Amino acid sequence: MSQRHSLILEVNGQMRNALVAPRLLLCDFLREDLELTGTHVGCQVGACGACTVLLDGKPVRSCLLFALQAEGRAIRTVEALGTEQALHPVQEAFEEQHGLQCGFCTPGILITVAHFLESHPEPTDEEIMAVLAGHLCRCTGYRNILAAVRAAATQIARDKAAASPRPPG
Amino acid sequence: MNTTPGAPADGAKTPYFGRGIRRQEDRRLLLGRGRYVADIKLPGQAEMAVVRSPFAHARIRAIRVRSARAHPGVYCVITGRDIAETLKPLPALDLQPSAKPAFSRVLAGDVVRYVGEAIAAVVAVDRYTAEDAAELVEVDYEPLPALLSLEAALAPGAIHLYPDFGTNVVQTFAQEAGDVDQALATADRVYREKFSIHRYTGIPMETRGVLADADPNTGTVTLWTSTQFPHRVRDCVTEVLGWPAGRLRVIAPDVGGGFGVKEAIYGEEVLAPLLATRLGRPVRWIEDRAEHFVASCHGREQDHEVVAAVRHDGVITALESVCATNIGAAFATFSNAPGYYVSAMIRGPYRIPHYRSKVLSVVTNKTPLNVYRGAGHPQAVFCMERLLDRIADDLGLDRAEIRLRNMLTPAELPADRAVTLGARPNSRVIYDSGDYPRCLRQAVALLDYPHFRREQLAARNAGRYLGIGLSFYVEATAFGPYEFSELWVDARGAITLFTGSSPHGQGTATTHAQLVADELGVKVDAITVVHGDTGVVKEGIGTWGSRSGAVGGTAARLAAVKLKEAARDLARRLLPARDEELEWTEGRIHLRSDSQRGYSLAELAAASAGGGRADAPSPGLLKAEVRFQVPGVAYAYAAHIAIVEVEIATGRVLVRRYGVAHDCGRVINPRIVGGQIVGGVAQGIGGTILEELRYDADGRMLTRGLMDYLMPSAADIPPIELVHLETPTPHNPYGIKGAGEGGMTGAPGALVGAIEDALKPFGVRINDDGPFTPSRVLALVGKAARPQRAPKASA
Repeated sequence: MSQRHSLILEVNGQMRNALVAPRLLLCDFLREDLELTGTHVGCQVGACGACTVLLDGKPVRSCLLFALQAEGRAIRTVEALGTEQALHPVQEAFEEQHGLQCGFCTPGILITVAHFLESHPEPTDEEIMAVLAGHLCRCTGYRNILAAVRAAATQIARDKAAASPRPPG
Repeated sequence: MNTTPGAPADGAKTPYFGRGIRRQEDRRLLLGRGRYVADIKLPGQAEMAVVRSPFAHARIRAIRVRSARAHPGVYCVITGRDIAETLKPLPALDLQPSAKPAFSRVLAGDVVRYVGEAIAAVVAVDRYTAEDAAELVEVDYEPLPALLSLEAALAPGAIHLYPDFGTNVVQTFAQEAGDVDQALATADRVYREKFSIHRYTGIPMETRGVLADADPNTGTVTLWTSTQFPHRVRDCVTEVLGWPAGRLRVIAPDVGGGFGVKEAIYGEEVLAPLLATRLGRPVRWIEDRAEHFVASCHGREQDHEVVAAVRHDGVITALESVCATNIGAAFATFSNAPGYYVSAMIRGPYRIPHYRSKVLSVVTNKTPLNVYRGAGHPQAVFCMERLLDRIADDLGLDRAEIRLRNMLTPAELPADRAVTLGARPNSRVIYDSGDYPRCLRQAVALLDYPHFRREQLAARNAGRYLGIGLSFYVEATAFGPYEFSELWVDARGAITLFTGSSPHGQGTATTHAQLVADELGVKVDAITVVHGDTGVVKEGIGTWGSRSGAVGGTAARLAAVKLKEAARDLARRLLPARDEELEWTEGRIHLRSDSQRGYSLAELAAASAGGGRADAPSPGLLKAEVRFQVPGVAYAYAAHIAIVEVEIATGRVLVRRYGVAHDCGRVINPRIVGGQIVGGVAQGIGGTILEELRYDADGRMLTRGLMDYLMPSAADIPPIELVHLETPTPHNPYGIKGAGEGGMTGAPGALVGAIEDALKPFGVRINDDGPFTPSRVLALVGKAARPQRAPKASA
């Protein structure tokens, strides 16, 4: 078996250290070595988007990267998106709008959408469709996912307005 | 018994029945805490890889496994020869007695009959190593000619996949109602059409996967598998292995979609328990997507011929239908089912009193075919609706009008169709309830059909091609034979429902909890639903055939009814009181005259431990179990209406609007039902416009990944407008019919009708269900029909 290499990276805010084979895929490293099984693998070729994670804040397909390519970088997975007590607004919206059925594609979509809404606080339907086009879902027919993204955008804007100090006067 | 459909249990304020409440399932799935097979890891776990045939048809001369076995990290390698003596073939569960024994083997014997057929299995320390070693397995093949199409397999002089059979037809089923010959002889007009249905399939986002773990103490094995029916898997896998049924516990954990692909027994479900036992360590196999395209069942592919006797007014008096299904290389678990559904249901909502049907199952060198959402209904509906469009156009009748003229009215229901659903016992088809014409009118109104015709004309004048299509289906749902449920209330008031339903995205825990909560008069969150585990759910039929809400849900609520009877019995003795002096309020039974005097369910559970009856079912636990036997199949129905635009320049088909008026009886949770319909329509759009499992001339699969096999993405699915009609079925006390498959069932007929309508100016007639990819559409329209480009300015 092949030589293992040292890997240091940050995953969900924690520094992690591991010895990995050069051919180990990032998705397998997260799922098998770190036991972060919320990231799912649906196609192995970057087509379905289920394995999407954030790498230094940008969505990537973890099935298309070797674990060693994440050396010195920061990964965020669905496990760090929200908590039982405080769901991320995107998670909240998916629950409210029935935006998932079997749930297998959901973690990747949540990661992409949460990232997208940070840079697109008031998205148009066309923009949402364009970003969802990178993900496959076989259960929902997407319409409720679209509704969930819209609802999440509205909620995030509302939360921001509530958090920001009132303008004087 | 309180069994008023959808009504609150005695005293409960608001029933959950009919409310689109949030799902119990979602929280853990959203947090990344789902637990699919691939997420489970046991100490010492090994991984399996499968060596598969690269040939569609070949004789295996020799297999050499020495170098694979010697590869570092490999635990074992086995081939078909190693197990041929000990393992039975995989079962097919819907055979006629006269069927030929074209059974699948766990690993191939001397002949492989499709690309992807399993030849050997390698177990190693991890998947990477197992795949390395799988490549070291050397197989000597002698390629044989491959048969791929139905036409080729049925041609005179065709080679036979199983030479002993002397034919490629491995099963025939026929039935007849009325006098077809007489009707044809006296018909005003006779129409003959051929239709073909292409091969496509469910493609759940989670591929298949198994994990088996043997207990060295008892020899029992736990098998986690991504399946729709764990109890069936237990029974079949132990049968193949020759094990006692009690030796295997099967668990379906979170399952990432099924759609019929996971309603089959597969060889890997046998190999993993066998090898885990032999090796004394857990064995896992997770299918990769390229494998999935060849090793998991396909769906749909059929050729149809219909002959119809028609009156001048468009009324069809007789129909003769012959349908051949390309079942691939061997029987899958339900390869014959699509043919049975065609045979039983092709007449849909239309009277057609004289009817004759023959369905053939034909073997070819393709992956075995199983049911896919709707089984044979979508194919049958496609043929019937195309035939109606053809007759309507020929007679100059409106497409909605010809349907109304043929349609059964509410006064004609229940309607005995004088046919049966294949091999199932007691399966005579009797449409139970509904108002088909009203449903059709509602769909037509939904997309404002008359207005559309004006819009279409205006668009055509502007060089845009819009079309409208209609389809109507009646669908057999809520199959039996039964579903099982068991309900516990313990002394702390905890309520647990164990159900034989085994969901994969349907929100079954939520809908079943809604039903139980209503009956017990408690909050829905108070109920824990356990499913998918033969170790704790005693019996189960599983989730397929649009059955779990209706049959599993009814069983769940009836268990609550039964549990309340036991509780009432106990309360009567403890108080003491006569039955008529008692009433229920919010999970508590008390004296009608004095609500302070009474007991909660928890108190009664506690009481059953001591002062209760000596024959109390369990100390400190109120328990009830129900096996709800289905008295008859419930027939759901819907009208689908689609508006498409065909871009003549590019060949693209865009679905502009889509409407569904449907009736699945009483709706437990409209949000969940809506999700099922929209998701089904999306799969119908995919199958009609994008998806096809394509083979080359030698039988090698060309679509082996999600880059080649195009599934719909968000932009392909338009808003889908829904109207719910609710006609209860008499076959369960709550009036629920099935809703899981209908979205898919109606779609191909409506979409192809719309595409043909859009292309009417080109004289296009369409007798197949696609897929209508740009190249296909351009071929249909033909070069000459393309708009002339303005001449370019010379450079």
